[in-house]
Amino acid sequence: MQHFALTIIGRDRPGIVSQVTKILFQGGFNIADSSCSILGGQFSMILIISNPAISTTEEFSDTFKPLEESNLSVYIRTLKPGGEIRPELEGELCMISVYGADKPGIVYQVAKELGDRNINITDLNTKLVGEKQTPVYVMMLEAMLPENTEIEEVEIWMKELKQRLQVDISVRSLVVMEL
Amino acid sequence: MAVREVLIYPDSRLKENCAPIVSFDESAQQLLQDLVDTMVDAGHSVGIAAPQLGDLRRAAVVDVSKSKLGKKQENHGLLQMVNPEIIEKEGSQIVREGCMSVPEYTGNVTRYESIVVQFLDQNQQLQVIRSEGFEAIAIQHELDHLDGFLFLDRVSSLKTDLFRRKQK
Repeated sequence: MQHFALTIIGRDRPGIVSQVTKILFQGGFNIADSSCSILGGQFSMILIISNPAISTTEEFSDTFKPLEESNLSVYIRTLKPGGEIRPELEGELCMISVYGADKPGIVYQVAKELGDRNINITDLNTKLVGEKQTPVYVMMLEAMLPENTEIEEVEIWMKELKQRLQVDISVRSLVVMEL
Repeated sequence: MAVREVLIYPDSRLKENCAPIVSFDESAQQLLQDLVDTMVDAGHSVGIAAPQLGDLRRAAVVDVSKSKLGKKQENHGLLQMVNPEIIEKEGSQIVREGCMSVPEYTGNVTRYESIVVQFLDQNQQLQVIRSEGFEAIAIQHELDHLDGFLFLDRVSSLKTDLFRRKQK
């Protein structure tokens, strides 16, 4: 079945989720996977959807017109076959917290250390908090360490980065208890 | 000895309140043995409760001593528990849990850091033990099964909750 990635974003207000999912429900769509959250004053929705009767964007893009009319931006991406399947990620989950005085490049520098070593970031949240005069940047990320990478190595890279960026960084393994 | 099939949600037996074992007979012994066998067979598992095998009696087994993280902490090895009850609890810890009966999903759950649990062991002796950390989490998770609770009922925060609370 053809799957699509649907992204919707707009000024936050009550009723966005119900407005969007009503259209999906009435149009016969399944929501396979989704993540929705408030970012700044915007509500953002990312959903993987499918409909047995639909194989191209043209067949349903008009159904979202009412959303555009109520000031939500809608973007549809057509997935390649298999693009809806989450890859089996092997390894140890690791959580990295980075926080400190706001400055340019915090996210990039941390992500570069991981990306250069082919380490997959599976989740990332950032937020600017604190007082206006003393803004604090907070970043929380989860990464999947491949088999040949030990958490101690990550700690070493982050320690070096901590000096260079003058921020606080902590690394810990994320225990997932399979019961 | 028997390795039995582990029920997967939405099997409704996973949401039942289990009955106390009144007579500790041969079938109760067999149940404990099946629980141990199935837990061991499931390689990664550190505990299993009777309803996961479709048996709605209050019995569960836990053994964290073979797991990578569990063995680093103090633990009681293999615990075979009949009619277990948590009689004291304190502190709290957040852990990401997964469950054999709810495959492919994990969630952050708040559990007590330290518990005192009372149960009848495989020799029908009353045991009262204090458990902490990893083992305490496993016991709480398995005992929840006896009341028809899955970890999905306990998920306490989405990952972004930390940020949300900061908002005024």
